[in-house]
Amino acid sequence: MEPRTSAFATGSQTPAGSAGPQDIVKLIVRTSMKDRAAFDLLYRHTSAKLFGVCLRVLNDRAEAEEALQEVFVKIWMKADRFAVSDLSPISWLVAVARNHAIDRVRQRRRATVDIDEALDIADPAPDPEAAVAAGGETQRIHLCLDELEKDRAEAVRGAYLRGESYAELAERYRVPLNTMRTWLRRSLLKLRECLER
Amino acid sequence: MSIADDHRPDEGGDDLVAAEFVLGVLPVEERAAAARRIGAEPDFLHAVERWEGHFAPMASAYAPVEPPASVKAAIDRRLFSQQPAAAARPSSFWSSLTFWRGLAAAAVAALLLAVAIPYMGAPVGEPRGQLVASLVADGSDVRYLAVYDPSAGEVSLSHVSGERAAGKDFQLWTIEGGNIPVSMGVIPSGQAVRLPVDPAFAGKLTAGVKLAISLEPAGGSPTGQPTGPVVSVGDLFRL
Repeated sequence: MEPRTSAFATGSQTPAGSAGPQDIVKLIVRTSMKDRAAFDLLYRHTSAKLFGVCLRVLNDRAEAEEALQEVFVKIWMKADRFAVSDLSPISWLVAVARNHAIDRVRQRRRATVDIDEALDIADPAPDPEAAVAAGGETQRIHLCLDELEKDRAEAVRGAYLRGESYAELAERYRVPLNTMRTWLRRSLLKLRECLER
Repeated sequence: MSIADDHRPDEGGDDLVAAEFVLGVLPVEERAAAARRIGAEPDFLHAVERWEGHFAPMASAYAPVEPPASVKAAIDRRLFSQQPAAAARPSSFWSSLTFWRGLAAAAVAALLLAVAIPYMGAPVGEPRGQLVASLVADGSDVRYLAVYDPSAGEVSLSHVSGERAAGKDFQLWTIEGGNIPVSMGVIPSGQAVRLPVDPAFAGKLTAGVKLAISLEPAGGSPTGQPTGPVVSVGDLFRL
């Protein structure tokens, strides 16, 4: 875990430009103390990334805007939870946003799942520079995904990025639901074996 | 754990359910059931966090998109529109303390009646110079009642609610005016515990001085200053 900066430090304002992981840690800790100036800065530095997450999962702009509001309300209320998490600050924020967006998407019944349209959107390959910048966090998942068969790795990546359910994946890959679940669980077991190697 | 789990009939057990939860593939009921387990089972929570960590690098494929300005305005309306302008803009740690104290006022009164008086032992009318602080904070369930008895040279702490996370400790600090916090030590676990007060410092513990509890690595802050979030805070006052 990264060293945490003093919870009592309030003197220096983070510049509006780029914010490193340490700056984000400070902003989350100060947000947990109900410091609105810190919350505003945290929003400025992270809202574009978290909006990207909501948009990708919800695939609907109006809904993603609403989800982003709820995500930041959650962050304001629950910033203290970050103190007991081992995740890096940006990963923690992304996890809050992703989980919220997935909860939302699971609860709505999509009138139509436009599989064809979804298939047309290629997943961008992870940006190597961004991956390096993420720092500290292991990049092992990419190596381990490469050990899976191509379509299975693609199913895991797609499920993660788009927050797809087993039902949607089954439709996309045109296999029965149970087959899809067995398939993906086997991939997860292989991944775990590789990740813990 | 993986070796044992691999031989279970459901291939992977709870750890795989945690992976499915993090990936987001579970149907709505199973997802809700898994979410409930996160709050109730520390082992499951740790499995979920481990998978979040494993998968996190995949998030670099999320392209940032600038949200419209209306979103932040709506967030501010939802969170802050009910507060008067002065309280809505705490500019520092100190003003956020003021904000908490306002919220905590009712809790202080209730706690004192319910917890402090039976604990005191001193008959009414025989003040012994004791000072009391009810320690609470918005967004935290950690509550302590602190009683400082100058004649005994110690602070008694009764634990009202809120647990420290595994591998973490609560550390007590005293803050006089705008000075930097001074550690009073790591709070031992237990319902009713005592911390000795350094005689050199005893005279500074007076009404209006703040006590605060921060969450720290096991054994206390390595730096001599708080490093984790403040989970509970309150003012000392004379009974």
